[in-house]
Amino acid sequence: MIHASLLVEDKIMQPGFFNHLLLICQFELNRSFATRKGLLSMVTFAVIWYFILLYPLRFAAGIAVQDHGLNQHFSLFDFIGLGSSQHWSIPEFDVFWQLALIIFPMLSITMAADQTCSDRARGTLRFMVLRSSRDRIFFGRFTGVMLIQALLISAAAFSTLALVLSRDASLFTAALSDLFALIVNLVLIVLPFTAMMAALSAQVKSARQATLWAILIWTFMAGIVSGLAYYVPGLDFLKLLIPGYQLSEVAQLSGWQALQLAYIPLIQSLVLLTLGRWIMTRQTL
Amino acid sequence: MSSTIIQCQQLNHVYAGKVALNDINVELEAGEAIGLVGPNGAGKTTLLSILSGFLHPTSGTVSLFGQPPGATQLIGKVSALPQDARLDPSFTLKEQFIFYARLQGYTTQQAILEVNRVLEAFALSEAADEKPGVLSHGMAKRAAIAQALIGKPTLVLLDEPTAGLDPVNVRTVRSIIAEQTSSTTFIISSHDLAELDRLCRRILLLENGRLQIENIQVDEQQSATRFITLQMESCPAPEMTAKLAALDGVLQVTNPQKNEFVVAYNAEKHPTMDQQLMQCLQTNHWQYRQLSHGKTLEEKLFFSE
Repeated sequence: MIHASLLVEDKIMQPGFFNHLLLICQFELNRSFATRKGLLSMVTFAVIWYFILLYPLRFAAGIAVQDHGLNQHFSLFDFIGLGSSQHWSIPEFDVFWQLALIIFPMLSITMAADQTCSDRARGTLRFMVLRSSRDRIFFGRFTGVMLIQALLISAAAFSTLALVLSRDASLFTAALSDLFALIVNLVLIVLPFTAMMAALSAQVKSARQATLWAILIWTFMAGIVSGLAYYVPGLDFLKLLIPGYQLSEVAQLSGWQALQLAYIPLIQSLVLLTLGRWIMTRQTL
Repeated sequence: MSSTIIQCQQLNHVYAGKVALNDINVELEAGEAIGLVGPNGAGKTTLLSILSGFLHPTSGTVSLFGQPPGATQLIGKVSALPQDARLDPSFTLKEQFIFYARLQGYTTQQAILEVNRVLEAFALSEAADEKPGVLSHGMAKRAAIAQALIGKPTLVLLDEPTAGLDPVNVRTVRSIIAEQTSSTTFIISSHDLAELDRLCRRILLLENGRLQIENIQVDEQQSATRFITLQMESCPAPEMTAKLAALDGVLQVTNPQKNEFVVAYNAEKHPTMDQQLMQCLQTNHWQYRQLSHGKTLEEKLFFSE
């Protein structure tokens, strides 16, 4: 057996940054889709989404279809506060968009809470750090969690497309562009939430702590920044620091136009990832 | 092998106002296993954690093979058994080890071969598809040591490798370390001085954060005064001490603990002291358990005058 080891030893290549990123990503995908705990979470998500799709989404979309025929300027969604000034061309996507803007950021806070904290508390991160760098682990885990969320968002969006096609199969071509716009927009929207959880996870000891801190920080930050901006309007730009700050405005937009506010989550993610990386580099493992 | 593998300069570490490492200056070369001993809280784990890149020192510089701890250039070269670290409970041993091997640069096929080799060496082949949660303490410990030996690391830092292992597994670990010492330098932190005595020629003694290097065997061989340690079955200590002290060439006899005697003698004048001692024991019908040249590591480190 020792000979086997010696034979392979000669051909070992020092892996690069992206190679490690890929391996860590792949491992995280396995954690979500190939372990019992991960599968249980996925099945739970699927069941919950199935009921959202079957009842609120289908029901609301049904009404929206009727509204489109009756009155373009008033709908049930406007009445309950889920309305938007620009409607998506497919009513089901309109409803999906409004629901997804609430569901996926919330899901992100719970799903992305344990990027490094429990592994650090358990000592598992030490085994990894001996074979990779802190940067690679931090960004690898972040990318992995983003990829999982992108898959869930895509699955949810495609299931909505199936609902659309079950109503009217001829909408397929028209729906396709909107479908991709939905996915891209939602992935961008969860990006700063995931980055915030990456930074918190690098600091705290458990996923629960990370979630609690996220809620506290988010609430206090939103309150403080809004208060400051009220008295000193020049400080209004600080709102840019709050993940999800742009959601109420994005909700008013539709299709690829919603991307006009994409710079906000991108800047937020950049800032939060820089902060997270700084914490991770200095943290004792 | 004579290259510098570890270099620490003015290394200090302070935990919440308490000095854990105090001005450590050391340069270690590749070669025989190095023992790291010291009382609880002396700073052994802190030093190993800094060397492994788990902890940043308060001040001073550290380099391994000329690189700072945690540098990517050290991947596959430096490995460690961190104290109390546990494997991921969601994956089997094999899945995790293959992942680690892949991070070290192995292809999937190479990783499988290498992981099988390591698991077999530590008698863990049957547990390969088990998750860490179902392993006994001893198996989990062996698995943690096994991960440190994936690939061919040049330097392996082991923090308490045999703590909690049964004697059979201690022997397995010992023989694996002994097998690899020609290509790998081990730094072993342990309270088991007998174990370190068997494996190490150099000992780093940490006390109150300060480091002292003991080149035990070299020191003894260079000295004219040498020692023989006698471990006896029950015997009258005062009488035996007196009789041994009366032997020609004996400089001093001490009785550090029950049934153990340390005889100091002049090796140049009396090179066959061991035979004289045996004869004395036989004449007095005293049964001995063990006669060994030199002092025990415990005596050398903590009770030497």
